[in-house]
Amino acid sequence: MLLHLLVFAPFVAAMLMVVNSKEDFKSSSRMALLFGIAFVAMSVVLIALGNQATTPMEWFRIPGCKGPVFYYLYAHGLGAWMVFLSCGLSLVALISARASMGKEYRNFAIGIFALMGAMNGTFLAADAVLFFFFFEAMVIPAAILIAAFGGEKRKEAAMTFAIYTLVGSAPMAVALWYLLTMADNSLLLSLALVLQSLPEGTQMMVLVSFLLAFLVKTPIFPFHGWQAITYSEAPAPLSAILTGAMSKAGVFGFIAWILPIFPLTMGVVRTMMWLGLATAVYGALMALRANDGKKLLAFSSMSHLGIAVAGVFSLSEAMLPAVLVLLVAHGISAGVQYFLMGVGERMTGTRNINEMGGLAHQNPVFSFLFGAAGVMALAVPGTAGFIGEFTVLLSLWDMGPFQALIMGFTMILSAGYVLRFIQKVIFGKKAREYEEGARTTALEGSAFGVMLVLLLVFGFHPACITNSLQLFDEAAVESMAATTDGANGQTASDAEAATAGEDSAEAAVEAAPMTAEEIAQLDSTLAAAGFSEADRKDIINQMIAEEGAAAETPAAETAPEAAAAPATEAAPATVETSKTEGSNND
Amino acid sequence: MTHLPLWLIPLFPLIGTILLGTVAVISSPSKKGAPEGIVGALAVLFPAFSFAVVAILACSMPEAGLRETLCNWIDIPLFRADIGFLFDGLSRIMLLFVTGIGTLIALYSIGYMHGDRGFARFFAYINLFLFSMIVLVLSDSLLLTFLGWEGVGLCSYLLIGFWNSDLNNCKAANKAFIVNRVGDIGFILGMLCLVTLGGSSLLNYDSLAAFIQMIISGNHLVDVIIPLSLAGVLFFIGCTGKSAQIPLLTWLPDAMAGPTPVSALIHAATMVTSGVYLLARLGSMFAVLPQVLTIIVVVGMLTAFWAAVSGLFQNDIKKVLAYSTISQLGYMFMAAGVCAFDASIFHVFTHAFFKAALFLGAGAVIHALAGEQDMRKMGGMLRKTPVTACVMIFAFFAIIGFPGFAGFWSKDLILERLYTSGPMGPFFYFIGLATAVITAIYMGRLIIMTFFGKYRGSKESEEHIHEAPAAMLIPMVVLTFGSVFAGYLWADMIGLTFFRDSLASVVGTAQAIYAGSHVAAHVSPVLFAALGTIAALLGMFIAWKVWGNARIPEAKGSSAPEGFKADWTFFWDKIHAFFIMIVNVLAWICDVVVDKILQAAQWTLGAIATILGDGATVFQVRKARLQAALSVAGLAVLVLVVLLTGGLV
Repeated sequence: MLLHLLVFAPFVAAMLMVVNSKEDFKSSSRMALLFGIAFVAMSVVLIALGNQATTPMEWFRIPGCKGPVFYYLYAHGLGAWMVFLSCGLSLVALISARASMGKEYRNFAIGIFALMGAMNGTFLAADAVLFFFFFEAMVIPAAILIAAFGGEKRKEAAMTFAIYTLVGSAPMAVALWYLLTMADNSLLLSLALVLQSLPEGTQMMVLVSFLLAFLVKTPIFPFHGWQAITYSEAPAPLSAILTGAMSKAGVFGFIAWILPIFPLTMGVVRTMMWLGLATAVYGALMALRANDGKKLLAFSSMSHLGIAVAGVFSLSEAMLPAVLVLLVAHGISAGVQYFLMGVGERMTGTRNINEMGGLAHQNPVFSFLFGAAGVMALAVPGTAGFIGEFTVLLSLWDMGPFQALIMGFTMILSAGYVLRFIQKVIFGKKAREYEEGARTTALEGSAFGVMLVLLLVFGFHPACITNSLQLFDEAAVESMAATTDGANGQTASDAEAATAGEDSAEAAVEAAPMTAEEIAQLDSTLAAAGFSEADRKDIINQMIAEEGAAAETPAAETAPEAAAAPATEAAPATVETSKTEGSNND
Repeated sequence: MTHLPLWLIPLFPLIGTILLGTVAVISSPSKKGAPEGIVGALAVLFPAFSFAVVAILACSMPEAGLRETLCNWIDIPLFRADIGFLFDGLSRIMLLFVTGIGTLIALYSIGYMHGDRGFARFFAYINLFLFSMIVLVLSDSLLLTFLGWEGVGLCSYLLIGFWNSDLNNCKAANKAFIVNRVGDIGFILGMLCLVTLGGSSLLNYDSLAAFIQMIISGNHLVDVIIPLSLAGVLFFIGCTGKSAQIPLLTWLPDAMAGPTPVSALIHAATMVTSGVYLLARLGSMFAVLPQVLTIIVVVGMLTAFWAAVSGLFQNDIKKVLAYSTISQLGYMFMAAGVCAFDASIFHVFTHAFFKAALFLGAGAVIHALAGEQDMRKMGGMLRKTPVTACVMIFAFFAIIGFPGFAGFWSKDLILERLYTSGPMGPFFYFIGLATAVITAIYMGRLIIMTFFGKYRGSKESEEHIHEAPAAMLIPMVVLTFGSVFAGYLWADMIGLTFFRDSLASVVGTAQAIYAGSHVAAHVSPVLFAALGTIAALLGMFIAWKVWGNARIPEAKGSSAPEGFKADWTFFWDKIHAFFIMIVNVLAWICDVVVDKILQAAQWTLGAIATILGDGATVFQVRKARLQAALSVAGLAVLVLVVLLTGGLV
């Protein structure tokens, strides 16, 4: 139920917002805040409840494809935290926009809610087509918001953004359709199975088309052409959401879709890691030269996400928690920096950091927040950023000291551009005379304060984040089974109910639930026997393939639909656990 | 027997930070600012509490030290770290003087910062600094030490740029942070090196020592010497950053832009010595890495000598002291480089007293002269500010190693250990002794130019010269006592070895490992003492000859050195500038070349798309009809596909 709510309620909220009169700023802003708070609360509950899934429902059939497309939502630690980012940043954006939007506030809120719904859908979808649907749907509200509320070059920015990202994911649409013509359905395991049966060249083609979509979305050098202009022209609260939550969809895609589906060769892994590192260095160097405050933040974001992608493709055991902490930390810190930059722009009327300055004396509260946010973006120990960067660095060091050295170099550069940014904006003397705009309101200030405190809390107690990935731990599984019979138990029992009648499908049902545990066991034995990460993955994938095939053959004859559902139910779970040893119990 | 919990020590300054920070933020919009009395009381009280706890614990500490694990910090596959504290002989000494001198300097700052707009903010930073520094020395693992390590760096950044409306201060602060960041990356990579070598438990000091012991007893040293040496070098890079050694030393002279109490506390007595602390803490690891030790001793020697010569060329009173700090840190590194960790920590200890006294004295002089720092405009202050002058002169005797004063004992010890360290020992000893002579020269110059002769400033300013208030004088006098008597904690010649014994449980093993592989030559300690005394007297004599009666050149323009003096002083800055230039060129290439090429490619694609689109519109005769036709065709294709593939059945 929670999953449905998180995906659909934002759209309902957007529609309800229409009820408000455009003239009545007060009621519309109050309503928006109430909705926003409710969504944040739901996302927190989602994290607290752990892994859960809805009953898969057949949504529609794509012409030419073998199986149906499911409406099937599924939350695991990674997705739940991304949903938290999307809801949390949207709430703060709604708060921050109160001071600048005026009568346009209602429309802005509608756009934000639509965007939030699409983002939540992306992070929760367990079906590839559903994921792709939301992945594309995100672009539309975002582009509309930019075109409506952006800066001087907003039209151009919106066009660039929309076309670039839509074109970027077009090959993925084709590749996905191609896979679906052969797969039983569009769930993760069937896609992975189909892919195994393809010749290598085709596999590569499909992989590249998938990668392209995520590379553009993240963005990774050299596909970052849309980013700087979009982030700088978008209204600051929206930029915060774009960088804090939406750009995570790219990294999320790498982890949740690329890694489980594709048997990656070492060459691909290395290429992606180097692309990530190149992005990190490139973004940092560009940030050193940027004079537009929002562009500077855009490049700094790019640099951090480059590090995240490099971390993902280090494929070490510590990768998933490391990257997750890094993503959450970056989401919050980049988000709050954008919000504060927006306030700065509002006060001084410019984005050019050379024309700002002296705010430390003029507005100490703002400057305190601004400075603290900057320092936290530097990954000083004790903040969440440090945990993320340190553990990612650990993963990279496993790949080779040289890679780690490059990341260290970007960390030095990050000190360079962040300190320059702080100095130009709040220190020194006023660079020019201007009429001061609206200052930080109390509500806004405390919202930013809460974000900064969260960074500190996660910095000293990252277990809040990393534990959400460790539900595979047996004790956690048992306690979950005992307490939340609802979310997880329901799907299992539903699945059993669906297949109880089919005698031939029994075998399949029995085969599937075993895998999660078995695979973890197998993985650890293999690890003990000295197999490398990639080898283990291959072996496990083979095991899954064999088992899945065995399960599917009898089922496919009698009841293709019913058998497909339970067999694939374990799909996102098993493949992901085999890779990360940390995610699921189905 | 129960002890006070260790976490109380960092807790007090942390509460202080939060309280004062809140006060600073809340009072910032008001015109008057928070009441100074309450803020000042809070600011001194919390460090004092902390000092009290340390003192109590120090008395009741068992020989093996106290260990306490607070909670888990990071727990992910491949990596696990706890937040835990370790209170042993080494951290006891460090904590005693960190909290003690911290309290004194907080008291001094009440007088010094009187009337400043950022009064509460200043003390919030000072408390945060003390918190970080306590965590640095109290932690039981490298990772938590790193938290303090970057924390003190951050506070140093905040306090150097404290008067942030002057952009020069901000630039000095940025420089300090970025140069330190370079060292910090070395520290992080060093930790990773250890983690890959033996798992995340190696970050714990006890486990690391046990690991090294195991390697030695099992004769596995050859197998791990390469990664271990790499880790050693990386940690040493971290130390050069924090402790301002070659090549990462350029930030410390610039850091003098901060308020003088900050220079005394952070950039002389405590923070900059954390590199020496780390070397001692990892002593058992360094003891088995002879190559790394050689690097350390050579770097320390070069730094000591280079900075001492630079000190001769400065006109700014604080800059002289800054270079003198770098030079003294060089001594400590030389000692650490020959595995004389107890001697290096002893010098850290005595240095903290006399250097803090010197800085506070300089602060009092600057305070008296309303901000003037150029020594060419001082002179004859002996009669105007007698207490300050006495403090500085006592501390001067301590730093040059005048017999009986604190510096004499510790410096003598280091030189002795250098001489007996091996075949290269006499060479290191000679350089150390020469540096001691130069030290006496530049310090003598400072004292002469400041306190003797005639006043060289303007007539109007002369009338306003006044002795500092009591809040400033008391800490100075206390520190002066320290700089006279601290040396007697370890005066080998008269049989006092209290200091060595208290450190023996921590660094004794490491030094035993090292001593086992080196044959020590035996020379009478009296000879060393005599040579050291001669060096100090010679330096004083030269200083008196050169500057005693000489006419000091008129001060013009900035106080920065010129000509060949500038070349010598800013040598490392130039090397840094070279690297910065490389980064800037890279950034320029990215921005102007690569990015433009990408934009051009993007534009070309866009243009082609537009042209194709335009072409289509031109070719169609009637727009509407074509669209309709295309739509019908598209629909037909769709239906065809659906039917052929058997969907919708």
